[in-house]
Amino acid sequence: MSALDAPKAALAGLTRPEGWVLGVSVAFVLFLLAALLTGALGPTYFLFLVGLAGMYALLSFGLNAQWGFTGLINFSVAAFFGIGAYGSALMTASGSPIAGGFNPLVGLVVALVVAFALALLIGIPTLRLRADYLAIASLGLAEVVRLIVLNERWLTNGSAGVRGIPGFFEGWPVLSTFPEAMPGLRLEVVPGSPILLETAFWQASLNVLLVLGFAGATFFVLRRAHRSPWGRVLRTIRSDEDLARALGKNTYSFKMQSFVLGSLIMALAGVFYTHLNLYVGPGDLDPITTFYAWVAVILGGSGSNRGALFGGIVIVTIREGTRFLNDVALPIDPAPLRLLLIGVVIVAVMRYRPQGILPPQRELIWPSAVDGGGAPETPDSGVRERKGGGGDE
Amino acid sequence: MTVLGYLANGLVFSSIIVLGSIGLSLVYSIADFANFAHGDTMTIGAYTSLVTFGAVGGLGGAVLGLPYGFFVALLAGIAVAAVVAVGTEKLVYEPLDVDSIGLLITSIGIAFIYRAVIQIRFGSDFTRFDIQPLRPIEALLPYGVRVTLHDVAIVASAVALVVGLHVLLQYTDLGRKMRAMADNPDLARVSGIRTRRVKLWTWVIGAGLAGAGGVFLGLFNQLSPRMGFNLLLVIFAAVILGGIGSVYGAMAGGFLIGMINQLTPFFSAVVEAIPIWPGWLAAVVRSLVSIEYANAIAFVIMVLVLLIRPNGIAGEDAT
Amino acid sequence: MSDAAAENVVLRVDDLQKSFGGLTATDHATFDVERGTITGLIGPNGAGKSTIFNLISGFYEPDGGTVEVNGTDVTGMEPYEVAERGLVRTFQTPRKLEGMTVREAMLVGPRNQPGESFVRLFTSPGAVAESESENLADAERILAEFEIDHLAEQPATDISGGQMKLVELARAMLAEPEVLLLDEPVAGVNPTLAKKLKSQIRRLNDRGTTFLLIEHDMEFVMDLADPIVVLDQGTVLTEGTPHSVRNDQRVIDAYLGGGA
Repeated sequence: MSALDAPKAALAGLTRPEGWVLGVSVAFVLFLLAALLTGALGPTYFLFLVGLAGMYALLSFGLNAQWGFTGLINFSVAAFFGIGAYGSALMTASGSPIAGGFNPLVGLVVALVVAFALALLIGIPTLRLRADYLAIASLGLAEVVRLIVLNERWLTNGSAGVRGIPGFFEGWPVLSTFPEAMPGLRLEVVPGSPILLETAFWQASLNVLLVLGFAGATFFVLRRAHRSPWGRVLRTIRSDEDLARALGKNTYSFKMQSFVLGSLIMALAGVFYTHLNLYVGPGDLDPITTFYAWVAVILGGSGSNRGALFGGIVIVTIREGTRFLNDVALPIDPAPLRLLLIGVVIVAVMRYRPQGILPPQRELIWPSAVDGGGAPETPDSGVRERKGGGGDE
Repeated sequence: MTVLGYLANGLVFSSIIVLGSIGLSLVYSIADFANFAHGDTMTIGAYTSLVTFGAVGGLGGAVLGLPYGFFVALLAGIAVAAVVAVGTEKLVYEPLDVDSIGLLITSIGIAFIYRAVIQIRFGSDFTRFDIQPLRPIEALLPYGVRVTLHDVAIVASAVALVVGLHVLLQYTDLGRKMRAMADNPDLARVSGIRTRRVKLWTWVIGAGLAGAGGVFLGLFNQLSPRMGFNLLLVIFAAVILGGIGSVYGAMAGGFLIGMINQLTPFFSAVVEAIPIWPGWLAAVVRSLVSIEYANAIAFVIMVLVLLIRPNGIAGEDAT
Repeated sequence: MSDAAAENVVLRVDDLQKSFGGLTATDHATFDVERGTITGLIGPNGAGKSTIFNLISGFYEPDGGTVEVNGTDVTGMEPYEVAERGLVRTFQTPRKLEGMTVREAMLVGPRNQPGESFVRLFTSPGAVAESESENLADAERILAEFEIDHLAEQPATDISGGQMKLVELARAMLAEPEVLLLDEPVAGVNPTLAKKLKSQIRRLNDRGTTFLLIEHDMEFVMDLADPIVVLDQGTVLTEGTPHSVRNDQRVIDAYLGGGA
């Protein structure tokens, strides 16, 4: 009985938007499963989509650590993503014009180091100033990084992009040969439409494993960092930076930490993308990537990591949905349609639900201190939902 | 081309940037947020005039190599840009219950909606006004200056608009109220200025000038749905260089940034010529100071201004 | 001034100057705040009281003059550096801390928490948890002393302005300041809460905290503060006991001239 009671109680404890999101997510998963089983959706493509959703979730985590936690407006998500992608591609690819052939782990480290340096470079002049300066400067930074990737052929191959990128697990024991070693499987759930699980499928499952690892580790780090005195200072800066300064917090340093942390996570998403797509080109630095992440974060709920996760899934739906629409129903170019959807979602969220669908609801207090300090257990939900509790004068 | 030639090109491009940066600066100080849809407002002006010109045709005569119909199209571009901006203010920005940062983010959404609609209607390719391109003015060619009568028309129209704005700001009641509101919105409100009306007029003027800038940009280069968004960085650089909130600063900043942008090939020739040591630095500088990086140079200037004088060359220093 | 007297000065404002675009806001202002006092800073509207607060606490950089806290020159320091030297301030109109409970908002107060270091969250979670428990206990104790412990779990956006002022004072105490600058602590606060605030300030002062406060409510400030510094047009007009200030003709003229 208790095994049944726990989820029931959990369900009862959900707020309305939570229930709504859960319902939509479950329906979506069921739909995908049905598509998979009937063979309408290839299992390898399905796993590619899962990988993509994980990647957007990572990007959203990164932006959430900047905008959601601290209120930093970063319009150069695409640039940090691109730095991650190009950094690892140029280190590992056989077609790299500079180095190439290194272990993907080397690529990972190089990508993160470059992203770190770039974050400092843009943070130093802007983080002491009003919030909108970072917005303007970061939009410019994204453009400059894109121009450099496009024009410096000796470094990046220019518009041709970088090919010959190995999978992330190349050179690892066991995992590097895992896809080839696995037998090809043939499942037939619905008669007449078999599902084939071959090398490409196993390769894709490795990628999913990788993105789950990246996203899981990031989620763990962010959750711990957010529910702490550190996260509390960031949230104070977001609401009232002067207050934090008056209370003795070096807000410039905190903003820098939050900015660098977010940028590193975005670069991590880029590293994953490189080994998922096995090709990177200047098109991957298009500003639209930045605003995919923005939509994911503000729709999910600024400051909320699970909101970012949900947002990541929404983005893949917009991306692939417009492609599908174009293929099947409406002959509208998917590019402006995506742009329109992003624009409409941004405006609609700011108009009707500026806090997002799943706003953060936990107190930012170190969990064990709340449990051990004799304070009553925090309600998991409702800090924002509860209204009108305070006394009036 | 000679230095004089680059300067002449710079003057034309500057005129366009100035028209854009004035509007951005006005809205920044009076509506109190960085409007990321400003570039796409320029695009709206450009495409409106494209359609209008296609509809009305040349209308017989021509001034400065431009058919009468083009000026009708220019007015239409200005009017529609202003109407769209006011509509957006009324429908979107005004009902919002968010701070200036929230407005900034909303304006990005608005920018995408503008651009998406234009791109769905006109496609993403480049187009041109159906006006015969002119040969450069013969008399100026010996000086290495290659400008057409169209370029002269752009500069003349921009000067007329800027002078008009100056007169409006300095000598009319609305102008005084706008300056008061830019200085101190709270004070303006308590001293009885109907701030909402002033704000609406700010949108009209700012977006109208942007629309004109967009039309001229289309005439100077080409039209594409991204034309305005691509220029946004340069315009922001101009506004920051001039000091956010200062209209005259924005004019000066726009002029400088436009000049520098068009002088890039000249600078590039200069860094080729002068000895730079060590060699790797020379290679880096020479590859970066090139026409591909004209926008990047605006960005670098902007970052330097933020580092050294965050309030711009014209602004006063305060935290 | 002798060394003994200097030692008794916790905050020294010396010849402070600041102007904005040609408008002089602070004009060679000089005064001392002695340890253990509740010093009042009054003056007509536009006398430059808030500017002085911003100059002292590091939010503005002065054009000239110096600020000393405990004998250390803090002129030109960042606000957080000034706070580290024991001077903390509150704001006239605190912005609402969105998405925070009162308890959370309180916990921003303590300075140099181990958990404010990103690295230590992962290398020494034990120390973080320990200090967090202590701070939590302190916060709840102070909330109880202020008789607002019932608000602990309320969203900070939902409590009244007056309650917010109390929370602010309580939070500032968690930063353990030697001198606390209060910017209009009872502006917009109902009389009952104002009384409560007054008694809290007295109690904290008895325990050793020095206060410098700006206040428009004359009754409140005359009752609480001694000495009182009177500012007019950015400069110190006079200072003294509430009695002497109240009967000073220059002070009366300044207030009448200022339209108050």
